[in-house]
Amino acid sequence: MAGTLISARLPPNIDVTKAPLAYGARAIPKLNEELNVTELIVVQRALRTLCDELHDPEHIAEALRNQVHISLSALLTHTDVTVRHKSTEALYILSSHCIGRDAILNADIIPGLARLLGDKEDIVRRNVHLCFEMMSEIPYGALGIVLNSLVTPLVKKLSTELDEIKLLILNSLHFAMMVDTDDALQCGAMQEFYDLLDHSDPLIRSRSARDIMDLCKPLAGKEEALDIGCVEKLSALLKDGDTEVKAKSAGAIGMIAITTDGKYRALKNNVIDLLIPLVDHENSEVRLNSIKTITCLAEAPEGRKMSLTNCLHIIQGHLEDETVAVAYAAGIAVKVITWLP
Amino acid sequence: MAATLAQQSDQVYSFSSQPRAVQQRRKPKYRDPFDQQVDGGTQAYGNIMHDKRIVRGNTYAPTTMPAHAQPDPLEIQRQQEGKRRALARKRAKGQLRARSPEPVEGRKHVDVQTELYLEELSDRVEEADVECQTDAFLDRPPTPLFVPAKSGLDVETQIYEGELFDFDIEVKPILEVLVGKTMEQALLETLEEEELASLRQQQRAFEELRNAELVEQQRLEEQERRHREEKERRMDQQQKVVAQETETANKIAAQAFAHSYLSDLVPSVFGLLSDHGYFYDPVERDIEEGFLPWLLESVDSSMSQQHLGRLVLDGLLREVVRSREQTFEALSRQPTEVPQTIPENGPLEIPSGETNIDIDAVGEDEEEHVGEEVGGPPNDAQLGDTDAARPASADVADTVATDADGGEPS
Repeated sequence: MAGTLISARLPPNIDVTKAPLAYGARAIPKLNEELNVTELIVVQRALRTLCDELHDPEHIAEALRNQVHISLSALLTHTDVTVRHKSTEALYILSSHCIGRDAILNADIIPGLARLLGDKEDIVRRNVHLCFEMMSEIPYGALGIVLNSLVTPLVKKLSTELDEIKLLILNSLHFAMMVDTDDALQCGAMQEFYDLLDHSDPLIRSRSARDIMDLCKPLAGKEEALDIGCVEKLSALLKDGDTEVKAKSAGAIGMIAITTDGKYRALKNNVIDLLIPLVDHENSEVRLNSIKTITCLAEAPEGRKMSLTNCLHIIQGHLEDETVAVAYAAGIAVKVITWLP
Repeated sequence: MAATLAQQSDQVYSFSSQPRAVQQRRKPKYRDPFDQQVDGGTQAYGNIMHDKRIVRGNTYAPTTMPAHAQPDPLEIQRQQEGKRRALARKRAKGQLRARSPEPVEGRKHVDVQTELYLEELSDRVEEADVECQTDAFLDRPPTPLFVPAKSGLDVETQIYEGELFDFDIEVKPILEVLVGKTMEQALLETLEEEELASLRQQQRAFEELRNAELVEQQRLEEQERRHREEKERRMDQQQKVVAQETETANKIAAQAFAHSYLSDLVPSVFGLLSDHGYFYDPVERDIEEGFLPWLLESVDSSMSQQHLGRLVLDGLLREVVRSREQTFEALSRQPTEVPQTIPENGPLEIPSGETNIDIDAVGEDEEEHVGEEVGGPPNDAQLGDTDAARPASADVADTVATDADGGEPS
């Protein structure tokens, strides 16, 4: 029977869906032990508490010291959805910290996570992709992803996944391709990115344009882009409403236009005329990429002629641009446009 | 109810009812326990050691059934008596039954039916089946709620608002904890997200620069490559042109040289050929080849014939001279010899000029006498007398074999 006295102590925070935290230093080790029992309810409660605890950076190091990530990776193959959901979430939180990423790479958890790419539940998949995205943002992580042959399954998923997850995959692929583009080229990633250029979400459009730019870094990528006809769609996107989309498609066209074929294809699509209004855009990235692309196109004689007549004065106006990179690029552009053999 | 032991205070024992001694079994089992006994509480409890319900003896051996226990001897006697009495009763009953008198000798009693209608008596018992079936079992109806008879006192109480606790005051700490924990968690997560967002921002800026640099680098590479290729192509072209020019110059020089070298080839060849006699007038050639040799040969033969003739003549002359000499000598020795008449030297044209003529000498002479007439008797003194002086005369008669054909015109 509750007494009528008002207590000075706070009442205990009892949430039955979460395991109670042990006191002080025993908190994380006890949670780790609970993760390894066979009783489902215990595991679920421990996972929920763990996920909340891991948000505090002080607990991350301790958790890794106690090999929590090993227990989590063992739980990835559990039959219960909640267990998988929460363990992938915990791994995602771990991977957003540097030591966590190192630990995940050292313990070789990536293949285990990769097996969950085809999981039936979308929350599980979303967390897996979040984790991969985090992992890929550092060079070692991206290398780990490439070495574990994850590029091919990720590319395949692009066509079938939900939009939210598509965003994450595009990001992971962007960083993975900065390390190595061969896998992506072989499994037809260019076609996937090309298809996504029509997507309704501007974020997806801009990211797929950026990924096309990354994929066009090797010569084979540029040729494939020309084969598929990316230049046409990208030049259509230069008129898009979203700033990011414009910036990234200008960059992609610039990358493709480095080859002679690319230059002439771009000139055929009147890219220079489309880029001229972008040179004065307020976003520095748009300006930078458009100036760069005009520079590339001005290497060809027709492009030089067109640039000379149309946009030389505009670019010269940017020689004193506030962004250092834009000013530098403008200087190079002027030099190229006014070059005489 | 039988009186219980004096109640002890509650603090020692917390069971709901006090311990009670087991009451003795009473003969009238189904008496109403609530009826007050006449004899009060003397039969309340007895000695447990003498209670028939308690098993006595060793507990580790299987207990024998109480039925086999030694019953009271009184009980045994009573049972036996009962058995005897039942037997006697049965015997008495059998004797009591009325009997009909015994049948006379030679007769037998037979049972006979005396009713109006005869019945067939048989062992078979007439049977009639009658069935009865109860209805299917109905579900046992739920037991009616047992409502015990009301007993005891009714007491009620009512708690009014505000008497127990004040909700608003009590709920505050609970809420504080709930909200506080949630806020703490949310703060941590927001912190993380903000950190992520700022990192992403940095990353975006970096990537911008990186992409620009990458494009620049590739463009420069491409430019460099193009320029290099252009240069190489131009150089190749130039080299080809130069090579072609030198080749052309060489060819021209060679042609000029060859031309000059061969310019007097033709005349020299022609000259050589004409020198070697390849260009000839056929008539002239024919004359040279056919006619002139024949002419020369015939001249030669005629000359040789002449020579032969002369040789013969010389021989003749020598012979004559010798013979004359001999004659003269003989004459000198014998002055009576008749002088020989000198045989007339006919024309030297002996048809078969048979002499061993020195052809060479003849040939040499022939040359000098090319223009002479054929077969004309040469009357010159140049007969090659010195040649004739050789001992040809001695062989004239012997040697006949000379090519008279040669002298003949072919």
